[in-house]
Amino acid sequence: MYIIQQLMNGICQGSIYALMAIGYALIFGVVGLVTFTYGEVIMLGSFSAFYYFIIFGDNLLFALICGFISAAVVGILVHKVCYERFLNAPRYISLICTIGMSMFLKNLAIIVFGSTMKGLPRFFEDKNIVFMEKVVNGNITRVSMTYLQLMVLCTVVVLAISLSLFLNKTKMGMRLRAVSQDRKAAALVGINVKRTTLLGNCIGCGLGGVAGILLGLYYNSVIPTMGGVAGLKAFSSVVIGGLSNITGAALGGLSIGIIENMGIAFIPNGSGYRDVFAFAFLVIVLSIMPEGLFAKRGNKV
Amino acid sequence: MIDKIKNFYNEHHILVLRIGIALLLFVPPLVKATVVKSNYFMDIIVRILFYIIFASSLNVINGYSGQFNIGHAGFMLIGSYTGALLSTKLGLSFWLCLPIAGIFTAFMGLLVALPTLKLKGIYLAIVTMGFSEIIRLITLNWTGLTGGPLGVKNIPQVQLFGLKTSSPMVYYYIALVVAVLCLYCTYKVINSRIGRAWMSIREDSSAAQSLGVEIRKYKALNFMYGAFWAGVGGALMAPYYRFLSSDMFVTDEGFNVLAMVILGGQGTLAGPVVGAVMVNTITEVFRFASEYRLVVYAILIIIMMWCRPQGLVGASNSILAGGQKKKTKKHTKENDGKGMVV
Repeated sequence: MYIIQQLMNGICQGSIYALMAIGYALIFGVVGLVTFTYGEVIMLGSFSAFYYFIIFGDNLLFALICGFISAAVVGILVHKVCYERFLNAPRYISLICTIGMSMFLKNLAIIVFGSTMKGLPRFFEDKNIVFMEKVVNGNITRVSMTYLQLMVLCTVVVLAISLSLFLNKTKMGMRLRAVSQDRKAAALVGINVKRTTLLGNCIGCGLGGVAGILLGLYYNSVIPTMGGVAGLKAFSSVVIGGLSNITGAALGGLSIGIIENMGIAFIPNGSGYRDVFAFAFLVIVLSIMPEGLFAKRGNKV
Repeated sequence: MIDKIKNFYNEHHILVLRIGIALLLFVPPLVKATVVKSNYFMDIIVRILFYIIFASSLNVINGYSGQFNIGHAGFMLIGSYTGALLSTKLGLSFWLCLPIAGIFTAFMGLLVALPTLKLKGIYLAIVTMGFSEIIRLITLNWTGLTGGPLGVKNIPQVQLFGLKTSSPMVYYYIALVVAVLCLYCTYKVINSRIGRAWMSIREDSSAAQSLGVEIRKYKALNFMYGAFWAGVGGALMAPYYRFLSSDMFVTDEGFNVLAMVILGGQGTLAGPVVGAVMVNTITEVFRFASEYRLVVYAILIIIMMWCRPQGLVGASNSILAGGQKKKTKKHTKENDGKGMVV
């Protein structure tokens, strides 16, 4: 029972990581460069929701939209500063640039928002759905899922499905895929590569922003330094999933979430080691399969 | 102007080195005694020396063999905790701790390198970063050994000729000797067969392999060498601050050292030195701006990458630089389709 419960928590948390990873994989696929600014994009998304709740009251749907838009705007800034000039330069240049940008955004956020932890409003008041209930020696053990977890899961699934529809069914999405497969060929068939890259980056960042809000709601708090670990986990999920493979990235995120919660469940005093499980999983996966779990040759996005 | 300085150095390098060492020996103490009259000044200079060691050790990994380690903070942490714990719990002397910490860190470097030899570019980068976080979190949570969130306190002072010392002035000379030793060893290694093997791996690993360079061995050796000096630097740092906690080695610290290497110019001996001096000076100069200091630093990194991506002393025709069009094109072309190769 306990294990199933932990598995369920893992899936919920993993779905947030999966959403982050989807955004990251989209950016990596389209831009072709690694970013360390993503964690800060996630953080800014969650803070935009925090201020939205303060100003306009508790409306979840609009907060998510607001987070998406503000993160996408940050995405434009990141694109202008870190990628646009360096698309054909050695890759470490833009990498260092994103590190600089990440430091910039994080420290600016600490100055503007304050370095303390801030609470987000609670939604659904801890209501939950009980799936299984069992009485053992007078103790009730149950497998349940809070409405919040359900909401998180639904949001992620809806976003993932709509992204997949967007990428596969619309012209714009096809352009994105074309650019991520081969920039030169895409330019040859008349796609505006620059604009498409910018668009892909914005959508990826927007998804990151939404994931940031979900993360903030899940833990009920936001803090300017939350981006670091979140960004690293998104990055790890993408690498586990085999870089720029969106489905793989989502599965990588899910597996990281599950591994974390399982580790906490099985190892005593495990909660302090939560991130250790995630990164150890990453190191083990990469040392066995150097290109990630779901790498497919020549198949990007 | 930088090229002129370089030419001058190439022509008179023995003279320059002698003058440089003489200046290093006498100027900071003199300045301290006459102009500034505070320990704060020496404190900054000692810190610069620590960072010179860290940055040069990272430079060996990133600059010379072209691997991409962004989790150098992990090695620094292992070195400094090893040194600190050996001297605090076992009472070993500082001079013994220094090499032991270095060797232990080199061993950990080997442990990181072995499973990751197949990896390159971004895969290696994320593994080094994951390793650095794993080490930091274990240190944070293993309260029995490391003191957990409270850190290691009361690290014994250095014993020099039977006298205990932690004054920045004496420590300056100790750190100077170690830093110069580090640079000298690195210079010797880089100009030996090993260093040439590293550079050949950086420039073209398949060509190097076909010429008989054992890539796996040299990559592992490279990681061990870099980790060794990071460990020595860490063990050197611990008794100076007399307090260690795992917050001192967050990933941002690794990025900080990486920024020094890249701003100075990776793949050059002088690069990390210049980078360490520059970054520390700038962060000190902007201390008045208190919390905006890191913002300024971040902007500086971005500006540097826009204007001079090969670093201050990096050669403009280096393959690592974006400067020369021809080589850049070739460089990116090779990487096309293979995913990320940093």
